[in-house]
Amino acid sequence: MRRLVVFLALTVALLAAAAAFDWWVDPFGEVWKPDVLAAARKQNCLVSEELIGLRYWSFKRDVFFHRPTREFVVGSSRVLKMSDGPHFSNLGYPGSAPETILRLFKSLPASPTQTVLLGVEGFWFNSRYTLPTTDLSTYKELEYLLARSTFTHAVSLSRQSAQLPQHRWKLDRIGTQCVLDRFEPTITWRLDGSRVWGWELDPARFPKFHGGAFTGNLETWRNGYFADWTVLDRSRLDALEQALALARARHWTVVGFPPPEPPHALQVLESDPRLAPQWNAYLKLMPQLFHRYGFKWVNTVDGAKLGCARSDFPDLFHSDARCSRLLVHALAAAIDNRRESLREIR
Amino acid sequence: MLFNSFPFLLAFLPLVVVAYFALPHHRLRLLLVVGASYYFYAYADWWFPALMAGSTAIGYTTGRLLERNPRKAVLVAGVVGCLGLLAYFKYAQFAGGYALDFVHVITGRKLPHLRTVLNGIVLPIGISFYTFEGISYMVDVYRGTLRAERDLLRYAFFISFFPHLIAGPIVRYGIMQPQLTVKHRFDADRVRSGLLLFTLGLAKKVLLADGIAAYVDNYLSTPGQLGFFTAWSAAIGFGFQIYFDFSAYSDMALGLARIFGIDLPWNFDRPYRSASPTEFWRRWHVTLSTWLRDYLYIPLGGNRKGEARRNLNLFLTMALGGLWHGAALNFAAWGTYHGALLAGTHEARERGLRLPRPLAVAVTFVLVVLGWVLFRMRTLGGIGSLYAGMFGLHGFGGGLPGHLLLYIVVSFAIVFGLPEEWRWPVERWHVVWVAAAAVLFAVAVSSVYTAHPFIYFRF
Repeated sequence: MRRLVVFLALTVALLAAAAAFDWWVDPFGEVWKPDVLAAARKQNCLVSEELIGLRYWSFKRDVFFHRPTREFVVGSSRVLKMSDGPHFSNLGYPGSAPETILRLFKSLPASPTQTVLLGVEGFWFNSRYTLPTTDLSTYKELEYLLARSTFTHAVSLSRQSAQLPQHRWKLDRIGTQCVLDRFEPTITWRLDGSRVWGWELDPARFPKFHGGAFTGNLETWRNGYFADWTVLDRSRLDALEQALALARARHWTVVGFPPPEPPHALQVLESDPRLAPQWNAYLKLMPQLFHRYGFKWVNTVDGAKLGCARSDFPDLFHSDARCSRLLVHALAAAIDNRRESLREIR
Repeated sequence: MLFNSFPFLLAFLPLVVVAYFALPHHRLRLLLVVGASYYFYAYADWWFPALMAGSTAIGYTTGRLLERNPRKAVLVAGVVGCLGLLAYFKYAQFAGGYALDFVHVITGRKLPHLRTVLNGIVLPIGISFYTFEGISYMVDVYRGTLRAERDLLRYAFFISFFPHLIAGPIVRYGIMQPQLTVKHRFDADRVRSGLLLFTLGLAKKVLLADGIAAYVDNYLSTPGQLGFFTAWSAAIGFGFQIYFDFSAYSDMALGLARIFGIDLPWNFDRPYRSASPTEFWRRWHVTLSTWLRDYLYIPLGGNRKGEARRNLNLFLTMALGGLWHGAALNFAAWGTYHGALLAGTHEARERGLRLPRPLAVAVTFVLVVLGWVLFRMRTLGGIGSLYAGMFGLHGFGGGLPGHLLLYIVVSFAIVFGLPEEWRWPVERWHVVWVAAAAVLFAVAVSSVYTAHPFIYFRF
């Protein structure tokens, strides 16, 4: 009996120790630990993506609940530069879609009432667009913590950084900003949930990215999000309608918009025969769909009309801070008009 | 559910073992294990248990009928019933595909709907194993060497017992029956020894077999580019991969069954030490080779009807044995190749040809490795390319595959330096060895995240 106990106890102890070490170092950023955000709030620092990993869902909820949020934006990575004062939270994240937005709405409190800027992407309605996992189940988390590959990476990271076993992050100063990071903060997050690229903080240390031009190959253009798009995906439309219905039931104000496109990309979307029918159907349907629930749709798809220059789209996909500011102003104006007209009706 | 998976290791196994020994009544324990085994099987696909229940019902009913009326027609009906399920799920796509090709050539009609139906057939894992177990039971009852089981629960336990359900060993009911009539008390030494054997199997699978697989799969994905040394390394590597993979499963099955107080028959005994193909089949997948001998080779006439008939029987038995592994021509070719090796061995012996044992072991090893090419490479082009590489037709350049070579050296050392793991006296291990095994177990458990499924699950 003694030897059986030794075997079982030692096995459990070793696995528990390895899992605890993996949890602490968390080499792939798979375990959500809100303490880094608490520390960043105390020192008013940015947080490196290395410490957020793919846990956007938990991160954005943390942002929402730690701010006096009255207005927030949801959408894909293309809304992540939007920022607007102390009551504004950016709850967008890469890998969003109508179903994640519905889930997010359900998880937020009904009151106080919110103003929601909902950035709707055309490619969301391509059924081939699949979502990355941004919220692990407990089982998957356990699997991750017990995996040998996690342990070997954790050991390797600990070797690279002597402070890692004691402190999971270090305080860095990049340009004028303080950043909580580990090694290479190429992407960082503000405490309102908006995103900052490394080259915006220090262009000498982090090279600005380029590329993204359309070559005709839909499999490679924009990560293949538009490839094989033949019809508007019904299940995603249903999810979007459910989200709008929930917002209406909660008396929230919702403004839908398409994230702005640079001129060349807009031309591709409007004229490429593989894309144009679906793209035009999406742009035609969205205003009707938002109006059906009593909400406004603002067509911000043409970046040039907003005042965004070609250079405001570094990768010809995501708009930069300047263009995003113009977008926020356009949406704010639409909201004000809306409020005015509601007042007139009453 | 895989033995090398977290749901099995962290939830299923601990819960079933604790519940098993917590239950006071023997029949309740049998019921628990049968229920757990059906759940274990349903984890792969929800409808698989219905198929196993059908096979169990056929075997049990046939046994009872044979007990009252031991007529050949009853046996044939039972065997055909079991084989019918196997034939449909395993061979319909294969045979039907060729039949449709034939019809297409003759009539010009493609019959796409029929082809879609055939392509939609899913092979339930483990069906080859429990079908053979059911057949052996029915034949043994018919021959009078085994009493028919009247207790359906015990028979269902025999067929479904999860340690051997998916990939054997192929158990005969005569071995299992006496063990199912007694209640097994909790025996810490026995449980520990089962866990230690399971640990050795798990470590062999995730550390050796999967480690080798990473390199072998990479090389064999482009057989046309392999030079002489790399081609041989890849082929030998696969020989060790499949051996460690399958023998690991068998060790794990034996260890798991031991925890529940059940002894299963061993399946491997360092087959690469064999000095002839005949000896190889006495050491490799022994429960299958003895099944083929007792229920196919001997009924076909065995060696009782002259040399020519014996050789034909060997060819037939091994070709069918090859097809048992998978419904594809390469498996039939692999089986026939081994049939030829066995017939050749008999012929050589009869002519008094003897080699010194070390040389005979080396020759047998090379012959077996050449056979693995047929087993592993599914297409004629792939088989041809790898053989061409092994015979130097792609040149001798390309260097040596360092990491794979290291695995091969370690594998040779294990195979020739240590006995098969089920022979290790784990029940007498000192506490220091037990502690070392716990470390090994922890490492092996942490390695299952990226583990490959067992090769023999496909069969």
